[in-house]
Amino acid sequence: MQKDYLTIALSKGTLLKPTLKLLQEAMLPVEGIEPDSRNMVFNYENAAIKYIMCRPTDVPTYVEQGAADLGIVGKDVIVEQGKDVFEMADLKFGYCRFVVAVPAEMKEISLKELNYKRVATKFPTVAENFFRSQGLQVEIIKLHGNVELAPIMGISDTIVDIVSTGRTLRENNLVELVKIMDSTTRLIANRVSYRTRYERIQPMIETMQKIVKGGS
Amino acid sequence: MSNREIPKGLRDLLPSEVKKMRSIENKAARLFQSYGYEEVITPTFEYLEVVENGAGGNIRQELFLFMDREGGILSLRPEITVSIARLAATHLQDACFPQRLYYQANVFRHVQPHLAQYREFWQLGIELLGASGVKADAEVITIAVQALQDIGLDNFKLSLNQIGIFNSLLDDSGINIEDRSLIRSLVERKDLVELSQVLEGMTIDDGLKETIAALPILHGGMEVLNRIPYVEKNPNAATAVNDLIQIYDVLKVSGVQDKIVLDMGVLRGLDYYTGIVFEGYSPDLGYGLLGGGRYDNLMGKFGFPCPATGFSLGMERLALVLKDQHSEVQHYLLGGSNFQAVVDKAQKLREEGNIVEMDVLGSSREDLEQIVLERENCVLIYLD
Repeated sequence: MQKDYLTIALSKGTLLKPTLKLLQEAMLPVEGIEPDSRNMVFNYENAAIKYIMCRPTDVPTYVEQGAADLGIVGKDVIVEQGKDVFEMADLKFGYCRFVVAVPAEMKEISLKELNYKRVATKFPTVAENFFRSQGLQVEIIKLHGNVELAPIMGISDTIVDIVSTGRTLRENNLVELVKIMDSTTRLIANRVSYRTRYERIQPMIETMQKIVKGGS
Repeated sequence: MSNREIPKGLRDLLPSEVKKMRSIENKAARLFQSYGYEEVITPTFEYLEVVENGAGGNIRQELFLFMDREGGILSLRPEITVSIARLAATHLQDACFPQRLYYQANVFRHVQPHLAQYREFWQLGIELLGASGVKADAEVITIAVQALQDIGLDNFKLSLNQIGIFNSLLDDSGINIEDRSLIRSLVERKDLVELSQVLEGMTIDDGLKETIAALPILHGGMEVLNRIPYVEKNPNAATAVNDLIQIYDVLKVSGVQDKIVLDMGVLRGLDYYTGIVFEGYSPDLGYGLLGGGRYDNLMGKFGFPCPATGFSLGMERLALVLKDQHSEVQHYLLGGSNFQAVVDKAQKLREEGNIVEMDVLGSSREDLEQIVLERENCVLIYLD
């Protein structure tokens, strides 16, 4: 952990643009960060701020281990990984939701009938916890992407995935059966950093909360 | 080669690591003893009933469980406080109180291993049994601070809270047990987003809602206590707040108040805490170093109601934040052609308190010079 710099882990990809906008509004430095840059570390000496650019799924890990004090990442990633981090603020952007989706011809099926069926997903923890909480047992098939393909190719009966507009589902002839939960981008903090660097972190959190409230 | 593997989450400790751990242990033990604490050793495994009776049922998924041939379910100890409570209830009911006990022991938890978290790890700690009141809490906290200082750590803070504030606020709200434990885990995990959503959906007093929502971010000096106005309406919470004010005064007397901050979000994971609780942190490590607090109801669960307080610190985590410390003892490598002279010289140097390794291979001076070059802090003596 850096002594002087406050390190913030940022999610590369679609979240980066709204993240940078928020940082800028919170009077934090963002000059020179380009979404397609190959740079992974950005130092701002005057502000004593350091950003590290991570895959979204790696952000909770950097924060949990204390390599970053703060992180900005989607709730979908946090809930799947179950890492031990503080969740300080809902930043409201990057909305999506976890759903159970089935092929259109099964759209009349009830959730109970999915018992013992095969579920393809990138989010095995979320999927398993959801079905278990419903008293159902399913076979989870972990995939790394293009989950919509699984029912088409017959390796699963249904999928659990995140959707924002639902377009990808429609294009692949799938329909949403149940919503599991909503997800938006969150500001997370390392357990110890939050306590040992409270004077810097807490005002930053409050500033971001104010911006989010004012904007929505 | 599979016959060399060790189980996940365990590790071998090599000489340099053991040296560091023993040095930590010795310094801490010396401090504990100087306050009148005496060491006890409890069994490495206990009946599952004992562990669950003490630590609560939700710890089970972290336990290493197995069966003995009589059909009993056994658990490797996940921590030591419960075992000491059982020990005291078994052996110390007629002893003179307060009793001051300390331990250094390995404990076992079935967790996902990562930096600073192994499945077998070492704890050092003290328990002060049979003493209620803030002076007892302050003694334990003072020892915690001094232990970290003696071990060689400067940059750390202890976060202090009184769990009664949170509990009596929830008593007031009249919410059911499930929601209580949900709110508790959200405050503890500082999941502020979910906490505000859950509170929003509840039909409880707005002032109470605001106070509960604020608890996780209340952190700082004694002025923090002015920011929980709702507490005045609740006599039990007010008593708990008063506890904190008093303990702060006692800690000032011991001169450790600089290391203390109030943090209303510290609730500790284990169910048995009842009063003052605290955790220690260093900015050099993303995980806590020590934790403890008052547990007045635990010993009653073993049939011996008795107030108690204590703390334990994690040795591996301390070792991670400690700089390497060189020992002052001189280390010699001794060789030569006249074996009698070598043995005599070695004996003499050892009696003077030095560490002496003798060459047992009949090596030449050149070979030994090569060996000394590759080692730190070692001097060659070659007797011709």
